[in-house]
Amino acid sequence: MRPDTWYLFVDPAILRFFGTGLLDTLMLSIAAIAVSFAVGLLFALLRLSTRWYLRWPAIAYIESIRALPVLLLIVYFGIKGSGLFKPFLGEDFELSRFWAGVLGLAMYTSAILAEIIRAGIVSLPRGQTEAARALGLSYPRTMRYVILPQALRLMVPAMVSQLTTIIKDTSLVGTIGVSELLRQGRTLYTTYFNPIEVFLFVAVIYFVICFTLSQLSRRLELGRAPRALREIQLRDQVAQFGRTRP
Amino acid sequence: MPGGIIFEFPDLYLFPSGLWLTIQLSVISLLGSVVIGTFVAIARISPLAPLRWIGTGFVEFFRNTPLLVQLFFLFFAAPLIGIRFSDDAFEFNFRAALLGLSLYHAAYVAEIVRGGLLGVDKGQLEAARSLGLSYPQMLRFIQLPQSFRAIIPPLGNIAIALVKNTSLATTIGVAELLNAGDIVESRTFRTVEAYGAVALLYLVLTLPMGAGVNWLERRLAVAR
Repeated sequence: MRPDTWYLFVDPAILRFFGTGLLDTLMLSIAAIAVSFAVGLLFALLRLSTRWYLRWPAIAYIESIRALPVLLLIVYFGIKGSGLFKPFLGEDFELSRFWAGVLGLAMYTSAILAEIIRAGIVSLPRGQTEAARALGLSYPRTMRYVILPQALRLMVPAMVSQLTTIIKDTSLVGTIGVSELLRQGRTLYTTYFNPIEVFLFVAVIYFVICFTLSQLSRRLELGRAPRALREIQLRDQVAQFGRTRP
Repeated sequence: MPGGIIFEFPDLYLFPSGLWLTIQLSVISLLGSVVIGTFVAIARISPLAPLRWIGTGFVEFFRNTPLLVQLFFLFFAAPLIGIRFSDDAFEFNFRAALLGLSLYHAAYVAEIVRGGLLGVDKGQLEAARSLGLSYPQMLRFIQLPQSFRAIIPPLGNIAIALVKNTSLATTIGVAELLNAGDIVESRTFRTVEAYGAVALLYLVLTLPMGAGVNWLERRLAVAR
């Protein structure tokens, strides 16, 4: 029988070790969701454009990125990330592994957020756009002052649950060497050889964060999410997809 | 030079064999998750409170922890508590990945099946019970068959997510598609070509599935 190592998890040094991992996990998720919100909004608007040369590239980007595993993107940027920026930022540029991970996560999430935002915009009554245009607002102003404020408010629960997915996906960034929560767990496990304790402990931390967020998202969801939205969430692995019954 | 890889590298068989393992993982785990998920869904709507608690606990636990943590637990920790999937290393990795993928997606499947079961008109169930069908008979002959139509399209979405998630099996040493890319990349340093090929093969799997699900959704929505 192996000695039991639960005592490790009350050791302040070990807890601090996990704390730095948790901090990295949270920073990764926040950076990734911030970047992907901006990129996703852009692609959602491009996809809704009436001009084919804007719409088609956006459709190609969204549909192909959504169809790829996020681990593939993370591993790719982990190896190739620096090379992509060297032409603009000089030969000495080294992309840190943290930002390579953010890039991989954000690329994937931006495609999903683009679909979520688009579903929100499309689910608004047409009369909103028509009224705004009839009152003389330009297309950008219609979007800025009439459509987006309403659509984004509808999207808040979906985005909170997307955040849970990102937090779960940050565990993949450990594979390119960022010391996030799961990576810290693996490091500890290779020292003490106590996988049961370590992975249960890590799972509980993830669970507490993700469960809280998914309950919050459920609370925020007033009534039923639009049908199109629930389908996006399912395919792209959002932790929650609203109530199963109205 | 892009494309040059084909002429200089003999290990290209890794891609088709990786693709085959990815397909095997996806199909078997999907079947596994449908079976487990259906039982969990039945537990979640059961009249017995303890069964409901177990079902809810299962769904919330597996949905709110990363799949990678679950895979690592099965891979590193399960043997220590006496669960050996196989004595053969290859089989061990493969079965651990199968079980991990099945359990994780079963939680999502359970939610869909539960939604489908609850969507069946209550009058149907009352009629079945008053005709003398037992609770299991009612589930088997009335409630489950009628929920299929609502379940199939979202199940397709889960299947797509599952194919993408099989890529995580590479971290526990299953030689699936992404693993083939990793090996070719590490031997040739042709990152773009190696991962480009992997990406293309994933697209070949998931894009038609996406189109199929959209078609099913439209078709079943019209028929409803």
